[in-house]
Amino acid sequence: MAAPRLGHANLGLGVGLRSVHFEHILQHQPKVDWFEIISENYVDSQGRPRYVLQQIAERYPVVMHGVSLSIGSTDPLDLEYLKKLKRLAAEVGARWISDHLCWTGVLGRNTHDLLPVPFTEETLRHVVERVRVVQDVLERPFVLENPSSYVTFQDSTMDEWEFITRLAEEADCGLLLDVNNVYVSSFNHDMDPDAFIRSLPHERIVQFHLAGHTDYTTHLIDTHDHHVIDPVWELYRTAHQLTGGVSTLLEWDANIPPFPVVHDEVLKAKRFMDEHLPAPEPAAAEEPVLAAATVFHPLHHIRPEVE
Amino acid sequence: MSQGSGPRSLDVVQRWFQAVVTHPSGVEGGVRSEEAQTLIRLDRGELAAAVRRSRNLTAGERLSIYANAYYARLLECLGACFPVLKRALGDDVFDSFAFEYLQRYPSRSYTLDRLGENFARFLDETRPEREEGGEPSGVDWPDFLIDLATLEWTIAKVFDGPGVEGQSLLAPEALQAFPPERFAEVRLTTVVCLRLLSFRYPVNAYFTAARQAAEGEEVPIPEPAAERVAILRRDFVVRRYPLTPPQHALLQAIQGGSTVREAIAAAAAASDLDDDALAAGLRSWFRFWSAEGFFQSVS
Repeated sequence: MAAPRLGHANLGLGVGLRSVHFEHILQHQPKVDWFEIISENYVDSQGRPRYVLQQIAERYPVVMHGVSLSIGSTDPLDLEYLKKLKRLAAEVGARWISDHLCWTGVLGRNTHDLLPVPFTEETLRHVVERVRVVQDVLERPFVLENPSSYVTFQDSTMDEWEFITRLAEEADCGLLLDVNNVYVSSFNHDMDPDAFIRSLPHERIVQFHLAGHTDYTTHLIDTHDHHVIDPVWELYRTAHQLTGGVSTLLEWDANIPPFPVVHDEVLKAKRFMDEHLPAPEPAAAEEPVLAAATVFHPLHHIRPEVE
Repeated sequence: MSQGSGPRSLDVVQRWFQAVVTHPSGVEGGVRSEEAQTLIRLDRGELAAAVRRSRNLTAGERLSIYANAYYARLLECLGACFPVLKRALGDDVFDSFAFEYLQRYPSRSYTLDRLGENFARFLDETRPEREEGGEPSGVDWPDFLIDLATLEWTIAKVFDGPGVEGQSLLAPEALQAFPPERFAEVRLTTVVCLRLLSFRYPVNAYFTAARQAAEGEEVPIPEPAAERVAILRRDFVVRRYPLTPPQHALLQAIQGGSTVREAIAAAAAASDLDDDALAAGLRSWFRFWSAEGFFQSVS
């Protein structure tokens, strides 16, 4: 039996670090428990993004979250990239490193999307082996997130939660439970999100993600451009009870509001941690979108500052 | 849950999926493509044999979510890499160039920061043939696009590349302390982030005008005219310095490892100033450039 959170600390309520908030954070030093960075935005940076990160890492706990590991791909692992992750983790004192249970491309290509894997015995063996290699290179437990997905494969022989559970136990890795992704994927694949969350190995959950999504009526897309909706908060309440509480992080990646709005959003989580506190006023439901809106960007473009 | 002769191999599924969702004509064209058919042979309407439908969407509609997002995401990223070029071309024309580019140069890197690294080259490779009878070495409209793409890409690279923040640089006083004869024999090391560019259109001036213009305001495309510019980063902000031909020749020679004397000779060859005017210019240029952090050290 693994220790709760695989022995990691509960860092509290954190916010995903985005470049539009750099100035606010440096000037106001808001009382945020911790920050999560998108690893790829910093591993090669020798300019302002890295400089800002150094200052933030001196003041706040930092966790690294990647989008390019492509753990499910049949292409070879990019060892140079892994070494860069390891180096950055040492420099900023990253508490842990995470990425997604997905693949991003094959034949040397990168679609820069988080693509779904078929849940088969072959995929399971493949990903378990690669997680072990990653953990050997990084010399630390690795944490995998359930992505939002929009298709399922005829070849799948097990449910997503069974795959995740077996993967985490056989590879001995941690889990980043994205509660919004559970909701989005469950809607898209006609699954029960509550059963999904209840079926996971809760002691291996190191971190939660929360985010908003876009409702296209026939399907949901994980756009990270809204407030968290009430059904996702209810799932969060369940996940909190099942795990005993783990580090919780809000992602907001498009139409990003001012920092205090993003911070207030994650602070709402407190209301779902304690059953004695009154629940917040129900948020107005987001209007379904009928035409193309935001495209989810797993990786941000940081705009150069130029005179 | 799987049917027939057991699950397809993961490798086959992934190569098929990628061929389908990145196909330029969308999912239907992707499924019919030779590449996809070689991997998973599906007749029309058989997509559900590979991908399940949901209560609300068919297998094709579900795959289209990935296919639509692939181009939409990367077009948006390229637009963010080249905002002034996109403004010059207009959204539709820029996107049609970018769409072609993504097919010729799909991303092969873990980082989107390299997505646009071949865009200027692509614009050059795909430039329309010059009009018959036109000057083969003449400058025309595609050169404006290529130069502007080069400028924007250079700015992005300098912004996040190696810099000299926190390091001691060569101050104007240190240069002035050299006796003139000795100064002529030294070699100056330029800062690692200095880039010297030479354009066929005044794209640096256009870049400034576009940034100063209100949203939606038309910024006229300039006539061809040679333009030279130095770009460097100081205090994490990219700075742009228009250069005259002798200034550009001088800095280029210094950056190439020439002595100051050799670099001045290069500047003189590129200059139509008389010797006195050039000498006066040189003093003020070196003072200005050292104050602006162009030089790391002297040897």
